[in-house]
Amino acid sequence: MTAVPTAPAVPADRRRAIRRRGAARALEGWAFVGPATVLVLGLSIFPAAWSFLLSLQRWDGFSDPVNVGAGNYAYAVSDADLWAAVWHTGLYALLFVPSSVLLGLLLAVALNRRIRFVGLYRTAIFVPFVASAAATGILSTYLFSPQFGLLNTILRDLGLPPQGWLEDPKQAMVVIALMSLWGSAAFTTVIFLAALQDIPAELVEAALIDGATKRQAFRHVVVPQLAPVIAFATIWQTVEALQLFDLVYTTTRGGPLNATQTVVYYLWNAAFKQTEFGYGSAVAWGLFAITMLITVGVIVVSRRARIEAF
Amino acid sequence: MQSIRPSRLLAAGLVTALAVALTGCSGGSGTATVDPKAKTTIVWWTGQADQAQKILVGLAADFEKQHPNVTVKVSSGAPSTEDLLQKLSASFAGGTYPDVSYAFGSWTSQLEASNRTLDITKQVADPKVDWKDFSAAARQTARPTGRRTIGFPAVVDDLALLYNKTLFDAAHVPYPTADWTWDDFRVAAKKLTNPATSTYGYGYSVSGSEETTWQFWPHLWQNGGEILSSDGRTAAFDSPAGVNALTLLRDMARTDRSVYLDQTDTKFGQLFVANHIGMITSGPWELYDLKTGRTKYGVTAMPGTNGDHETVSGPDVWTLFDHKDANRAYWAYQFTKWLTDPKQDIAWNVQYGNLPLRPSETSSPEFQAQVKALPGLDIMAANLANSKHARPTVPAYNKVSEAIGKQISAVLQGQGDPATALKAAAKQADSALAGNGP
Repeated sequence: MTAVPTAPAVPADRRRAIRRRGAARALEGWAFVGPATVLVLGLSIFPAAWSFLLSLQRWDGFSDPVNVGAGNYAYAVSDADLWAAVWHTGLYALLFVPSSVLLGLLLAVALNRRIRFVGLYRTAIFVPFVASAAATGILSTYLFSPQFGLLNTILRDLGLPPQGWLEDPKQAMVVIALMSLWGSAAFTTVIFLAALQDIPAELVEAALIDGATKRQAFRHVVVPQLAPVIAFATIWQTVEALQLFDLVYTTTRGGPLNATQTVVYYLWNAAFKQTEFGYGSAVAWGLFAITMLITVGVIVVSRRARIEAF
Repeated sequence: MQSIRPSRLLAAGLVTALAVALTGCSGGSGTATVDPKAKTTIVWWTGQADQAQKILVGLAADFEKQHPNVTVKVSSGAPSTEDLLQKLSASFAGGTYPDVSYAFGSWTSQLEASNRTLDITKQVADPKVDWKDFSAAARQTARPTGRRTIGFPAVVDDLALLYNKTLFDAAHVPYPTADWTWDDFRVAAKKLTNPATSTYGYGYSVSGSEETTWQFWPHLWQNGGEILSSDGRTAAFDSPAGVNALTLLRDMARTDRSVYLDQTDTKFGQLFVANHIGMITSGPWELYDLKTGRTKYGVTAMPGTNGDHETVSGPDVWTLFDHKDANRAYWAYQFTKWLTDPKQDIAWNVQYGNLPLRPSETSSPEFQAQVKALPGLDIMAANLANSKHARPTVPAYNKVSEAIGKQISAVLQGQGDPATALKAAAKQADSALAGNGP
């Protein structure tokens, strides 16, 4: 198909017109995507590239920056406080991701029925998701206050020992996981609800006619259909979990005794409190690399398992 | 073709918009010699909000009226005072920094290191400025490294002992006096504590922030300790004086259980207002909340060690920035000098309920009226005389502060002993002071 003898069939001036129209079309296209491209370049790509340059420097925002090469990254590897933050973040992800996916699935199944006031229930579940994390955080510090909170008052009335909650280094992360679960279970619920409604009712019906119990039909018909969505929800919630910041900021500020210091909180503290912008950027790039690895890993695994999530 | 033309226009417009955005605002070339009659605009970031901002905007208008050729562009600069540092850093990168900005005392050495500050050492030597009238801590903070004077004191404050009369009366404990010792303080705190009603004798922040740290400095200084060595290169707080100071707090928090350990920096003040904490060490900013909460309170100097009632002061600074423009520099200086003159300072700091910058203002009727509205303000103003040390102004101070703040909160929450904790903090602080670390 190298020689295409049709070219002479179109007169030269018409060809020019077509080319001109093509160029105009391209321009028109760029005019449409231009603003968005500028936004993405200006607000995402440029800062990202700049922060990478920063991560190779030692800079407090005021004095002249000093090039340190990979020094910030080397320091990060040997920084015990950072590793503690990594551990806290991992613990949080472990607490938060599976429970948010499971709870979302459970709630979605419960809400995917023709029951009275289902619209009301769905709204009620979604409201906490709309509430800002700042509001959630501040309200729950009142709820969980060891001395004056509602929860400990209830425990005392029941004759149970009051707990330290957010002021106890062992419990603080669990409380934060509970709080974010309350706030974001709605997200996975909505996703699963949409996916459940996409599954043709005939499939389940067919399984039931073939003698499957309801539970078997759910396990072997519904769940496999949901697999791509489960994979997506898991990745999404993991990425969210690794970036935990707002709840920590509004409740414990990384305390007590740094027990809730997450990676993002740590890098925010390094960059904006200690004004080590270079080091903060290096930690951010480290976090990006880990997030990327996890995401690619899950995609590869799910492709191998023929789950078409992406 | 008709449908294409508008889009071409659009594209052309976009390119223009981009070009404009990318070139940005490059500063005009400044003059080298001062012409006080020339039309000049100076930019002022106040770091204030609400009522305080309203007062300052009014003062800027007054200044413009007196000098019609000068425009003072006044704004808060950032959503909160804390955010100003970040905003200043960004404005340096963009070349759009102000002429005058509010700055916390702990930032000044960093700002000086930017080489964008003015040096007004010669001007403030003028007897008309009466520079010596400012408190020693405030003057030292405006001269972070001792080489340059980068601005004027903006706000001064100090820590005093506030006691809740309702709780003292209920526990039949006599009120604190100006010659209390820390032992008197400890005994009273224990008597005031009642777990059944969630009442504590004292409140202390264990967030590990500067709030945790600076509350510790008076204890250290009163025991004869220092924060840094005299050359400012190594930490000196891990001395017997430091251990003594931290041991007192540890014994109160762990043995007596008389201290409410606040994880947030903000709750202990609220609990004091709400009659759940008997004593706090705090400053003038607390008085307004106490008035609103109708708390019955008293104010006195900090408890002392061997008769030494030293306190800590946190002066903030109006920092002046250099735009290589003699007229802007001239008016930035003139404006800030005018603002910190007694007359204007009464209209601003005194009217707002801050401490007066200059002791001479305390006799003014305006200050006396404030004392009536906010009882204890006069004691806090007089207490400035007990502020002898300034907090270190080395660039690594925030790291030193975090190193020791973290250890203080660990000890108060039952982890580690004072000596080991301070040694660990000193090691970390030394490393930061030596410029190691990230």
